[in-house]
Amino acid sequence: MSVTIRRLEESDEVENFDCGDEPLNNYLKRHAWTNQQKISIGVTHIAVDESAPRSVLGYFTLATSSVPRDRLPKKYVRGLPPYDLPLILLARLAVDKRFSGRGLGHALLSEALQITLRVADEVGCRCIITDAYPDKAGWYARYGFVPLEGPATTSPQKMFLDVRTIRRATSFESSPAERE
Amino acid sequence: MPPAVKEKNKKAAALPAKAPTPRKSKFQADLAPSEDSMVRVLKAELQMSSNTDFLSDALALFRWAVSERKRGHRIVSESSTGERKILIFPRLERVAPEVTLPHVDIRWTDKELGSLAELATGQPADPTAALIRAMRR
Repeated sequence: MSVTIRRLEESDEVENFDCGDEPLNNYLKRHAWTNQQKISIGVTHIAVDESAPRSVLGYFTLATSSVPRDRLPKKYVRGLPPYDLPLILLARLAVDKRFSGRGLGHALLSEALQITLRVADEVGCRCIITDAYPDKAGWYARYGFVPLEGPATTSPQKMFLDVRTIRRATSFESSPAERE
Repeated sequence: MPPAVKEKNKKAAALPAKAPTPRKSKFQADLAPSEDSMVRVLKAELQMSSNTDFLSDALALFRWAVSERKRGHRIVSESSTGERKILIFPRLERVAPEVTLPHVDIRWTDKELGSLAELATGQPADPTAALIRAMRR
């Protein structure tokens, strides 16, 4: 399997995509294209195999957001610049269940983080946030996402990854585990 | 009063008052030349001569589309070979019950904001092995 990750196009085949989660399937089939091309509020990238370059194996959607400075607790505001806190939202990430366990999630997240770093370099943003399902929080934690204190364990867990940490990761030739 | 006239007056009194004819609204639109041309072409294709009929039919069609999307139904066109296309029309998507847009306006709890602010103002964490692998080109 030779996987490419690229932006969603109108002619891509999304109808057969099935990650086992209806809201994630539904988003790709019904809203991803509109949100990307017509409303311009979120961009979806898809993983495809060279042998079937239109068939979606997995996808992620990124959007931008910000937190108004006056909503942040006062004791932290002094450490922040006098602007809203810009961030990237990893709004969706899903892999078709027929292709799970082949590293597609890693490849998709890797691309999402590369884009985040480019946005941070070109435009500016402080962090990437995701809403992780509780059973996926551990997977995101492996990449350094830190859970934000939230209200419940059953609802999606907001998780945070600092852009400075992502940037620092690019300076390593090999991972700490590999160096040992 | 002759009985016949009395009877007639009784009947008149029993009839409900005639409802006033509803006033018709005027509708005026500023169309770009291309849109004007589109209207003319469509009217010709549909063999319509009046703008009123044209607007009335267009309204009926739009109303139907809105009601279908409100019920969560998709509007699909199917070719003779079975190729299907789903109508995606941003304004219609606004009435669909199951609209799920990216959470661009994120809902934050106070605890989450406190946690976010603490992390954003603190020292960045060291990258994990998985993150380093992910950032390798």
